[in-house]
Amino acid sequence: MSAVATPVRPAGPGTATVVARAAGAEWVRLRTVRTTWWCLLAAAVTIVGTGVLMAFDAENVTETGVLPPATWAGEFGVLLGQFALLVAVLLAVTQEYASRAIGPTLQWTPRRGVLLAARVTVPVLVATVAGVLLALVADVAARLIEPGLTLSAADVADSVGRIAAVLAAGGVLAVGLGLLLRSTAGALAAVFLLQLVLPFLLPAFGVEWMADLAELLPGSAAIWTLLGEPDMTAAQATGQLVGWSAVALAAGGWSLLRRDAG
Amino acid sequence: MITVHGLTKQYGAVRAVDDLTFDVLPGKVTGFLGPNGAGKSTTMRMVLGLDRPTRGRALVGGRPVAGMAEPLHAVGALLDAGAVHPGRSGRDHLRVAARTHGIPPRRVDEVVDQVGLGPAAKRRVRGYSLGMRQRLGIATALLGDPGVLLFDEPMNGLDLEGVRWIRALVRRLAGEGRTVLLSSHLMSEMEQTADHLVIIGRGRLIADASLADVVRGGAVGQRVRVRTPSAGLLADALRRRGLRVSPADDGDLLVDGAAAETVGDVALAAGAAVHRLAEERSSLEQVYLDLTDTDVEYRVADEPAAVRS
Repeated sequence: MSAVATPVRPAGPGTATVVARAAGAEWVRLRTVRTTWWCLLAAAVTIVGTGVLMAFDAENVTETGVLPPATWAGEFGVLLGQFALLVAVLLAVTQEYASRAIGPTLQWTPRRGVLLAARVTVPVLVATVAGVLLALVADVAARLIEPGLTLSAADVADSVGRIAAVLAAGGVLAVGLGLLLRSTAGALAAVFLLQLVLPFLLPAFGVEWMADLAELLPGSAAIWTLLGEPDMTAAQATGQLVGWSAVALAAGGWSLLRRDAG
Repeated sequence: MITVHGLTKQYGAVRAVDDLTFDVLPGKVTGFLGPNGAGKSTTMRMVLGLDRPTRGRALVGGRPVAGMAEPLHAVGALLDAGAVHPGRSGRDHLRVAARTHGIPPRRVDEVVDQVGLGPAAKRRVRGYSLGMRQRLGIATALLGDPGVLLFDEPMNGLDLEGVRWIRALVRRLAGEGRTVLLSSHLMSEMEQTADHLVIIGRGRLIADASLADVVRGGAVGQRVRVRTPSAGLLADALRRRGLRVSPADDGDLLVDGAAAETVGDVALAAGAAVHRLAEERSSLEQVYLDLTDTDVEYRVADEPAAVRS
């Protein structure tokens, strides 16, 4: 071991450097646990698998029997497969509270705002990029299986944008809830309820206010963004995706910045 | 150097740390002692910026750790050896830490070798023994070559070889001029390892002195044990001289803060026969028990306080 470091080091690195390092560390964290890879595998199977199934049954997908664009494959796939990706994002946050590894993490990155920036950006970016790439694979696979499906550059660009928006919004929601609840089970239940279960379940009761309530949930906006259902304007869907993510991020950010480490 | 000033932590109705003030100086090993629940870990967590003080401040090298860009170069800590993702290898755990500071991978290999983790570093932490986890935690603390080190109960659960290794390590770290704060329940280890002691009970400071001073100047630093058939008579006479007398469990009298000569003279004047008279020098363990006597959070219910030998 070298001699003791000089007691006062010259001015440390700037905030940009510290954030970049923290983001790099988040990436190493993600790729050095098997959970991440299992989640990506599950997402791959779900997204590409759903797309392939849709392609085999393409003429029955629309009510009119007209073949949809191939990008439907990726969009259907992401509707289901997003949950594997959201689990990966969520575990990146909550596993540290379960294992108490948040202690060492905050010893290495004690500026909480820096950790928040890295912890939101990196897992959400990884999940979004992975989801978009898998959707593209599903699109191409669908096109190969059913050559009648159209695959135009314009459709792909539009589809990629919508998929990325859904995954980014869902990812930020998951990070926010994870930081707020600090429990894998609790945050997982909350994400599933808001994103999938309640948007489908509430309208099924046939009670009007329940259906209205369901429409306000982030999952309904995500479903609309992917499939164009239920009836909703683009402004409303965007507002809900951004609004829910912002609220969850604000609450989770408060929890990380203001509360004791955990 | 660690500076703790007026440090207080309140959890609802419980005051875990109560107006603590002490400095930990470089170049020596400072032992941080206190019964369970005394607030040692909470204090260390506040020094590291993990928990926010209700009042007061804790500084490392004059600065709060919570604002540092590169804390691992200032302070290394092992608080909780189990606080590691079980699915990550020890080496990857260190690589994450290194990445937060731009520390080269070469340094990861160095600390792995230094703590003797060896090939186990490539295995997942899930399969580590407690001793291996402690070594990994110490490797993480040393990674940034910091001038200040905090170890919370590092000898817990270690075998004799591990204990000796940590003792030698902290002595060497202090010898290199670093500031070392070490908490432990193992009094005998403190006696062999620490130069200075900070003792707390129920969150309050009880003693902040060198090991030698604590042993010499403790509440029972000088104590005389006297055996007499006229215990009541002698005890009254000693108390009239203003001395503190308590019965030992075998019927002897224990006289605090007195010399053997004084006790012998009092016995002669009172006409009490003396069958045995001995000066006792207290061990650190005994001093510690005396100092923290009124501050034990969880006392065994039916243990009479006076009957401790």
